Amino acid sequence: MFILNPQSGIPIYRQILEQVRRMVASGQLPPGTALPSVRDLALRHTINPMTISRAYSILETEGLLERHRGRPMTVASQAKNHSQLPKRLQQIGPLVEQTVVAAKQLELSEAELVKAVRREWEQDDE
Amino acid sequence: MKAVLRLVYSYFMGTLAMRVLTIAGLMVMLISFAILVTQPHAGDSVWIAMIGLLAFFLGSSLMPLMVGRLARSHAVGILPGARFKLLASAFLTTLIVAIPAGVLSPAAFLSGMSTSLSEIVKHPGALEYVVQMALILFTSVMLFAGWLYLAMWFMSNEPNAIGSIKALLVIAILMFAPARDLQDLTMTASWNLLQIAVIWIVFGAVFLLWPRYKARREQRVSQRPAGARVGLRRSTAGREFDLMLGTSNPWLLIASQVLPVLIATRFVGDFTSIWLFYLTIFSTVTGAIAGEAASRSRALWLRGNWSRDELFSQVERSFWRHNAYVLGSLILVLLFVGSFSGFPAMLLVVGVPLLALGTVLSTYLGLMITRGLRSIESVIAVAVMLTLMAVAIFIVQEPLDLITVLAIEAGLAVLALILRSQARNRWTRIDWMECRRDRVMTARGA
Amino acid sequence: MNNAAVEAANLCKAFGQKQVLQDVSFGVSPGDVIGVLGKNGAGKTTLLEIMLGFTAPTAGAIRVFGHESRKLPGDIKARVGFVPQQDELLDQLTVADQLRVIASFYSHWDFELIDRLCGEWGVNVNARIKGMSVGERQKLSILLAFGHKPELLILDEPVASLDPIARRQFLEQLLTISADGQRSIVFSSHIVSDIERLANRIWILKDGRLDWQGDLDSLKESIVRLHIRGSGAELPRLEIPGVLNVRRDGAFATAVVRDWTAEAQESLEKSASVQIEVETLGLEEVFVELHR
Repeated sequence: MFILNPQSGIPIYRQILEQVRRMVASGQLPPGTALPSVRDLALRHTINPMTISRAYSILETEGLLERHRGRPMTVASQAKNHSQLPKRLQQIGPLVEQTVVAAKQLELSEAELVKAVRREWEQDDE
Repeated sequence: MKAVLRLVYSYFMGTLAMRVLTIAGLMVMLISFAILVTQPHAGDSVWIAMIGLLAFFLGSSLMPLMVGRLARSHAVGILPGARFKLLASAFLTTLIVAIPAGVLSPAAFLSGMSTSLSEIVKHPGALEYVVQMALILFTSVMLFAGWLYLAMWFMSNEPNAIGSIKALLVIAILMFAPARDLQDLTMTASWNLLQIAVIWIVFGAVFLLWPRYKARREQRVSQRPAGARVGLRRSTAGREFDLMLGTSNPWLLIASQVLPVLIATRFVGDFTSIWLFYLTIFSTVTGAIAGEAASRSRALWLRGNWSRDELFSQVERSFWRHNAYVLGSLILVLLFVGSFSGFPAMLLVVGVPLLALGTVLSTYLGLMITRGLRSIESVIAVAVMLTLMAVAIFIVQEPLDLITVLAIEAGLAVLALILRSQARNRWTRIDWMECRRDRVMTARGA
Repeated sequence: MNNAAVEAANLCKAFGQKQVLQDVSFGVSPGDVIGVLGKNGAGKTTLLEIMLGFTAPTAGAIRVFGHESRKLPGDIKARVGFVPQQDELLDQLTVADQLRVIASFYSHWDFELIDRLCGEWGVNVNARIKGMSVGERQKLSILLAFGHKPELLILDEPVASLDPIARRQFLEQLLTISADGQRSIVFSSHIVSDIERLANRIWILKDGRLDWQGDLDSLKESIVRLHIRGSGAELPRLEIPGVLNVRRDGAFATAVVRDWTAEAQESLEKSASVQIEVETLGLEEVFVELHR
């Protein structure tokens, strides 16, 4: 369910955080969906279980996940509303920044970049 | 040839200690030679030359170790002609060690006779005698050195009980054949040369053909059907501690001591004086196993409910269980050989304690080695060995000086107690990082 | 922390004149999986052996489950497992006999687990140890430390001779052991990717000191490579906090820094009017950069 790369410079718990956030925000993980247990995930990816529980705990305090006694964690029912617009914008901030830097290096104008973004957006919607 | 010379050079000069011994030995022999040539009636000073020769020989004691290691390294299979060159370097070393004896002996003879070379030359018979004598001494030293190197090879390349036993066997052969000749003055140059030739040809053939034999043996093993050996399971219950310490099987040690003795009785039954000497050396073999106890005990400490003090008591107990069998069998052999060749009863009365002392002393000496073999332990070990050998020789002298012998044995018993308390002391502070030995070279059969 | 598996304060160790460890302090809590990294001769083996009391520190104190490590009582030792760098197997025995010998020292040996692992790892219990390859010996050596289900498992380069498949099986087993969160594992290795998978904490030993100890995650967040771009043709002199090394090239520079934070980035960007791109580093690169 996750794509995890232990060798990456991005800590594993962050990789999980970002992927869960993205999948919840995009609706790929609708509210109520059960997540794999820490143990399963650790064994499947051969990674330290503490790292995974750390990511799950952060997601829980963010309100994205809900913990249940004796059952797997699930995506919180109001998870989608919970993620307010400023927060979501903040999340995409670094990506936008990178894109803008790259565009400047390629000597693209602002309008050209916006146009490219729009084209990509519409293609994805189809 | 360059490689051979380079090898020989590093045998004598490889380490600082070797260099000091080699150069000191050569200097002493030169001085002795000068004394013999310039001073008349100086034949008695030949012992100076002997010391020099001994130092020179010890200076080359790196040879068996280096040859053994190189012969087992991967390099020997890759370097061109490596095996042959190693063999040649070993032979050349033995030759070099023997040459001074051949040069010094005529000088000693001339000095003793107070004549000069020019006068001897006038008498063809005398000249022939001097040459003959030089040749005998040269070949004797070469023969002795060869055997001793072989013993050192076993000791240094198999630092375990098996290696010590092999070395002892070599020394035993040395005691029986060439040493006996030396004592009885029945050596001749041609007999020596014959022995040298046989020994070196046999050793050389084994050394050169070893890889071929090994390859064939491995092939045979690999052809054996898989799982053929499954089924035979020795029970290990109750012997775990001894197994991990290496004291679980005294019978191997016993067999390797008793068998050669019994075979030898068949041939040299009348040569009584050597027996006690021989058995005394055997009684100290257990020290070789004890010397490994410290490094082996690490796993025991981690797995068992013992403090360091208690661990020593356990180890000590285990060694006594082991030694009881070995010592018992040696005493039986002594009694057997004694009755077989008619030893005086008193000799047995003082001989049995001597064997026991050999076992006890060597066990505690071995147990004292908790920080690897250092010079102090080596010095004590050599001193104890020499004392035991000297006592063994002293006992068989007629008439028997009972009081002195008993006094010496009592002294050795006190020494054993001191060594034990020292060993115990060291075990309470045992540090397994310090006692780990260079295990890389122990053969793994890979 | 009272239930700590290991607590060490100001450990020093010298062999003669050579100082191997200097002022090393650490704690191991239940659930910790600690990866020990260091160059050859950095003191890893010495540190691990001091932890189990095989050797005494020259100065400092170390306790395992509350007991001085040099004087561990039997019930504490039964909670500890150790895989030495060089195996200490009994060459003359078969695998099964060796396992039985070691099992006899414990009251709670899990024969079932070891039998299963022998099967999974392809260890032939009827083989004689003398004829086994280095990798097989290593596997057996590891099994000997697993059978009594230790709460503290210390492994000194346990996987150096294992193939990738065997290593993965070994990692999976370690994960299973650590999954209940009650057991602690300390292991040294040069295989950084294994440590990255398995460890949640990292110790980096450098010249006998613990140069870095903490979460693997924080290590990766704290040590980063900066790509700095100035506005002019020549980059102005920069005061970069926590810098490990810098390479300048006209208007560009790359710098590796430790203890990096977003605030530090902001203030640097403002004060020097430069643009900074942050590149995160894998553990191997972090290790190399710390030793530059």
